[in-house]
Amino acid sequence: MIRRTLTIEVFRFNPQTPDIKPYMETYTVKEVPNMTLFVALNTIREEQDPSLMFDFVCRAAICGSCAMLVNGRPRLACKTLTKTLPSHIKLLPLPVFKLIGDLSVDTGTWFRHLNLKTQAWIHTDKTFDPKAIEERMDNETALKIYEAERCIECGCCVAGCATANIRDDFLGAAGLNKIARFMVDPRDKRSDQNFFEVIGTDEGVFGCMGLMACDDNCPQELPLQMQLAFVRRRMAMTGIFGGK
Amino acid sequence: MLLQKLIGRNQRLDAYLDVAEFLSGLFLVGFLWTHMLFVATIIFGTKIFNKVPAILDATYISYVGIFMVIIVILLHMLVAGRKIPANLQDQLIIWRHARRLSQKDTWTWVFQVVTGISILILASIHIWAILSGWPINAQISAGRVQETFFWFYMLFLVVCEYHAGIGIYRIAVKWGWIHRQKVGKVLTVITCSIVILGLAALLIFRFVIKAGGAP
Amino acid sequence: MSLFNIHLTDVLVIGAGLAGERAAVEAASFGCDVTILSLVPPRRSHSTAAQGGMQASLGNCAKGLGDNPDIHFEDTVKGSDWGCEQDVARLFVNVAPIAIRQLAFWGVPWNRVVAGKRKLPDGSIIEELKEKEGLITARAFGGTAKWRTCYTSDGTGHSVQYTMDSIVVKLGVTVHDRIEAMALIHDGERCYGAVARDLRTGELRAYVSKATVIATGGYGRIYGISTNAVINEGTGMAIAQDTGVVPLGNMEAVQFHPTGLFPVWILITEGARGDGGYLLDKNEHRFMPDYEPVKKELASRDVVSRCMIQHMRKGFGVETDMGTHLWLDIRHLGAKHIHTNLREIDNICKNFAGIDPVKELIPVRPTQHYSMGGIRTNIDGHAYGLKGLFAAGEASCWDLHGFNRLGGNSLAETIVMGLIVGEKVAEYTEGTEFVLPQRLVQDHMKKQQERIDKLIKASNNGENVYELRRKMEETLMEKVGIFRNGKDLEEAVHTLQDLLKRSQNISLRSSGKGANPELASALRLPGMIRLALSIAYGALMRTESRGSHAREDYPQRDDVNWLKRTLATWPEGNELPELSYEPVTITELPPGDRGYGEASQSGKSKE
Repeated sequence: MIRRTLTIEVFRFNPQTPDIKPYMETYTVKEVPNMTLFVALNTIREEQDPSLMFDFVCRAAICGSCAMLVNGRPRLACKTLTKTLPSHIKLLPLPVFKLIGDLSVDTGTWFRHLNLKTQAWIHTDKTFDPKAIEERMDNETALKIYEAERCIECGCCVAGCATANIRDDFLGAAGLNKIARFMVDPRDKRSDQNFFEVIGTDEGVFGCMGLMACDDNCPQELPLQMQLAFVRRRMAMTGIFGGK
Repeated sequence: MLLQKLIGRNQRLDAYLDVAEFLSGLFLVGFLWTHMLFVATIIFGTKIFNKVPAILDATYISYVGIFMVIIVILLHMLVAGRKIPANLQDQLIIWRHARRLSQKDTWTWVFQVVTGISILILASIHIWAILSGWPINAQISAGRVQETFFWFYMLFLVVCEYHAGIGIYRIAVKWGWIHRQKVGKVLTVITCSIVILGLAALLIFRFVIKAGGAP
Repeated sequence: MSLFNIHLTDVLVIGAGLAGERAAVEAASFGCDVTILSLVPPRRSHSTAAQGGMQASLGNCAKGLGDNPDIHFEDTVKGSDWGCEQDVARLFVNVAPIAIRQLAFWGVPWNRVVAGKRKLPDGSIIEELKEKEGLITARAFGGTAKWRTCYTSDGTGHSVQYTMDSIVVKLGVTVHDRIEAMALIHDGERCYGAVARDLRTGELRAYVSKATVIATGGYGRIYGISTNAVINEGTGMAIAQDTGVVPLGNMEAVQFHPTGLFPVWILITEGARGDGGYLLDKNEHRFMPDYEPVKKELASRDVVSRCMIQHMRKGFGVETDMGTHLWLDIRHLGAKHIHTNLREIDNICKNFAGIDPVKELIPVRPTQHYSMGGIRTNIDGHAYGLKGLFAAGEASCWDLHGFNRLGGNSLAETIVMGLIVGEKVAEYTEGTEFVLPQRLVQDHMKKQQERIDKLIKASNNGENVYELRRKMEETLMEKVGIFRNGKDLEEAVHTLQDLLKRSQNISLRSSGKGANPELASALRLPGMIRLALSIAYGALMRTESRGSHAREDYPQRDDVNWLKRTLATWPEGNELPELSYEPVTITELPPGDRGYGEASQSGKSKE
């Protein structure tokens, strides 16, 4: 195999030194077999530029920390193999989220706010009885809940979304998928009317224009088209005919 | 909940608007496709073609229909256009976003805005031309096409059908339960067929039918 | 120091993984004001990477019928090779079922029992009972007598962490993410909180609390080859040891997971073998039955890892440019099973190795995975040595795991121990007055600021932090790995001592200002090397083999001399940890045969 030399162009900006305007810095790295952007960026940091900021945690596409724009598209850097890219690679931080520095953005604060806004927890009036056995649940239902719960809050869907890029109050596919997760959960006692109050506006499901960049760029391959349409139908029914 | 939103706004407004966008879009696509099928009857000759407006006139469908279509177009412009960024900054953000992302559906939406605005102008001209040369029959249409309007109608046909095809695709994606790759394929076939029918009709008007005034 | 930089709270929890969040929720539910510090947003914690499951003896599935806490207790003690605290293990197995059900109540979508007959990969047929339908089901894991590991498809850790965090959000518990605790504030008697560094801006802050809980997870990343996330650098253990009075327990007990994906070292969950996967050698021969005729691939992790290394040493490994490995075979489980229950494995194989596990073999090798050792606590989670300091989860040595942890017991430990510690912390704060020892806080802040200033000002010709770090990683990997011996361990101790000295002379190549990543690494490194030394030195002194600690020069377990726990404290200025020993609590099950492993096999062959 002929080893390529990769030219990696990286966005540099540190909000701590706002006098230095954003610029692109170019590094070159020798490609190795099965190289991911995780390996490439760490090589750059350890051997060329120890000041370069980026985030990795699990490096196994589980934690959702390392999303960035790879040649314009939101990707998890840890699972992006360099062999799938041309030899010139351009890396930008995710839009929409607050920039911490270089490739690092604050997705944590954004998602905590989202979880608060959508009240993303089970609403129930029951109290836990430590002596009782668990309530029964159909395994199909459990799998359906898990299917939506697989979201890793990486922010790729939000970064790719045109609406989210111009409306900072838009919940994005991540937020609407979260609502879908609680809608199908029999333990959550919220009515459709309750959900409508949270997402029945242009901040929520009706702000979605259906451009499906979320669906195209979700690293978890969540069925976002189906989830969003499901939520939209249900909320439109609630909006027009009133909730259950 | 914020006070200004709590007291100042119908909680369900956004839902109504989104449904209105969906219904008006659906109606217009329905209209456009039937319209093109009617126009394409020219393939079977002027006699059959001329029968269609005659029936529509006799049943008053055309009078009510044209009026309704104009209203729905205006409604659709308002409800679908509400998603177009109002200020230039945001428009530039969208433009740069689309270029960076180079995702098909995002680009088609940008074109949807462009074609939507063009349709407003083109459709106004078209309606004015039709109404000022009332009634509709093959000879008058051929006259229009042969005099000045051939290239206008070529453009109008493509822009309209593109807008309708993408529009109905978007409706299916937003509201439906069929995977969009499948929807996209089916709609591409339908749109292409209708454009071909339209082109055939245009060419017939341009080169086959003998032009003439009102009989 | 300005008061603006001091944050006051009842309970300070360092680490927002499962143990930290569970403890925080429990303390908050007793009315405490809780603040959680985390290196990363809570939902990015390494707990989310636990795919396999959580052990609790619910006994709902067909192969788990008749299960109860007693059997779970026995499995755990045997797994630990009698190194665990039996009173702790008893408490744990009794609480685990309640903790699991509470998680179900909070929203975890556990997989459920589906009634009916089902064929297993080995050809046997089992029948799930109608009366158990809809209850929480379980899968098989290594070292367990029953199927006891509750799970949600392939993402147990993920969905439990998301559920726990949803409760944290619901209760409005304060979370400060991207904050790193750098030192505990203490006077040698009591802990008053921590000095922390904001990783967004580089500023120092003090968090002053009545009680402090360390739940920072393991130190996996001090080994070069580890399944752990890159944030698992053992900083919580290091700052506890840095006090000079808090001992770390059993640091020599390091678990290697049999199946790290070669050569990127991402974990392939034990669920793969639990669901019926095989280990094959270069001839595609299933070799585990040769070593472990009964348990086969499902002996405990220490045993399977050693068998794999032995088998490779005999020349049956697959040789490549990057090293030697064996194969994991799950092809016979079928595409449907792999695409649903083992989807994460499918994704990992495709994304990181370009392999389709439905059709191809997966290259694997034992990889550092878990630290049984940690901050030594009593049964309440209260650390030895400092009042007001608690620890939970992998960072602690509560001592549930002894010398080998069973798969599925660590995730369960985070929740069960978090629950118990949270309650005990609430009790402790209830009876404790809040004190703000301003002078002490100031001194600790100043000391940390000086460390930072020294690094920033240091000349350019000092040591390179990444180079030292690599050397440490390699030393541990080569000399303090799965099989150990006196000579290698002695060399490792010397090398690490040398590295510790050199780490005092690091100079940065970047400015070190603000959220500089090089500075963060340089600040952590000395603590990490001290942990490495505690492991190597503890292993050198322990002249026996027990659980995951396998000495080639002392292959037998020695209950007469070594049925005890190592405690490693590090008084200031020392070059090595001070080791002392305490007895292991044995309440129910006296030391005996594990029923698997080398000792057991040799015993049988003699008969």
